[in-house]
Amino acid sequence: MLEWARPGDRSREFEETALVHLDTLYRSALWLTHNRAEAEDLVQEACLRAFRGFHRFNPGTNCRAWLLTILRNEFLKRLKQGGHEVFDSGEAGDRQRGAESITDAGRTRGHPEEEFLQTVLHGDVDRALKALSLAHREVVILADLEGLSYKEIAQVVDCPIGTVMSRLSRGRAQLRQLLGRLAREHGYVKEAE
Amino acid sequence: MNCIEFEARLQPYVDGELDVNEMPAANAHLVHCAECQARVERERQLRQLLRRQPRESAPPEFRAQLRGRIRRSARLAAIRPWLVGTAAAAAVLLVVSLLPGLRPAASLVTDLVSKHITYAQIEQPAEFASQDPPAVEAWFRQRAGLRVTVSDYSPSGIRLVGGRLAEVGDRKAAYVLYEKGHTLMSVFMVPASARSGELRGARVSYRGHDYLTLERKGYNTVAWTDGQAVFGLVSVLSYDALLECADKLRLDRAERFGA
Repeated sequence: MLEWARPGDRSREFEETALVHLDTLYRSALWLTHNRAEAEDLVQEACLRAFRGFHRFNPGTNCRAWLLTILRNEFLKRLKQGGHEVFDSGEAGDRQRGAESITDAGRTRGHPEEEFLQTVLHGDVDRALKALSLAHREVVILADLEGLSYKEIAQVVDCPIGTVMSRLSRGRAQLRQLLGRLAREHGYVKEAE
Repeated sequence: MNCIEFEARLQPYVDGELDVNEMPAANAHLVHCAECQARVERERQLRQLLRRQPRESAPPEFRAQLRGRIRRSARLAAIRPWLVGTAAAAAVLLVVSLLPGLRPAASLVTDLVSKHITYAQIEQPAEFASQDPPAVEAWFRQRAGLRVTVSDYSPSGIRLVGGRLAEVGDRKAAYVLYEKGHTLMSVFMVPASARSGELRGARVSYRGHDYLTLERKGYNTVAWTDGQAVFGLVSVLSYDALLECADKLRLDRAERFGA
């Protein structure tokens, strides 16, 4: 005899396991699209997709990373459909966009961050993050705003942990430099020597 | 560990991701290196700054809407195996665009597929419910002044459900809903315009007429024009079934309007 599925159970399970991460998905979508309506549409599509593929989700594994992966893939698919160039590593993009010559990404010497990081405005952080390439922005946001581990980020952005580390390092270094420049523009700190 | 070695591990150290085997050496270096201590402090400050940023939550109304969509999707998924197993119903949607087309036909087809999917998920997709083709035609005429041809597919097991007026993109449109089994299908019609030449797809010939076939979002679409209007069918049904419905609608319209 045909066994009827129990839609209520299935959706309840999905809500309890997956929709608890809705805020993370929503914020991530906002960072990807910079547009509320698009973000909601993206999250909705990703969630419905995740729900349809929920049987493939392995309970006990990381649901947040799984959902973020689906969200990101959906976003990239839309970028492609819209005829936009999809980023790869982001390094080439930085050069094209004329990002300031970041010296060695890991190096931070000579910057009076102690001063300006105390005075940075929320709006400045927002502007600086938006100025990063997508490849760098997404890892910084996942790590520093959403608190994902390197391993989780590697799963979401589908690349080795080493790549995540180098993108994070470069992304943070660029962010620091951009914030420093904004702080100087606002007169919070003097021009670095 | 010296400064260069520590700096190479600075990020994972501050992120708490440094290999446990390397921690003792890193800590030992930090104890007597003020410069690296300052580096660690700077990194921590940047992270703290980022974590202090306002964290938005998904709006409650969006959360509720999403929950509703998922529950509807669950209900659909639950009945789908049964629907496929018995092949008990199909819905045919007839769509008539009321305004001259301003957008490419290919994107119109995509819009209609999306509409069709949306209506498939609501409780009563037909605004005017009737199994009687003349009654549905009369409803469109009175409601929107539209001369819509509503074919009778009942001999093929396709049951008329009703009609609906709706927005497609920025244009008003009318849908006629049918059922055959539970396999969904939509038919649309747009006044002929420059867009007629923009129809894309693989060209197939059926009973002496040419049609264009195209797949969108997993649905098969069949489109054609009779000089007065552009027609299209969207469904998960086979192209054969769609073409048969298309042919019938074409004949009915020719009989009615002499097109």
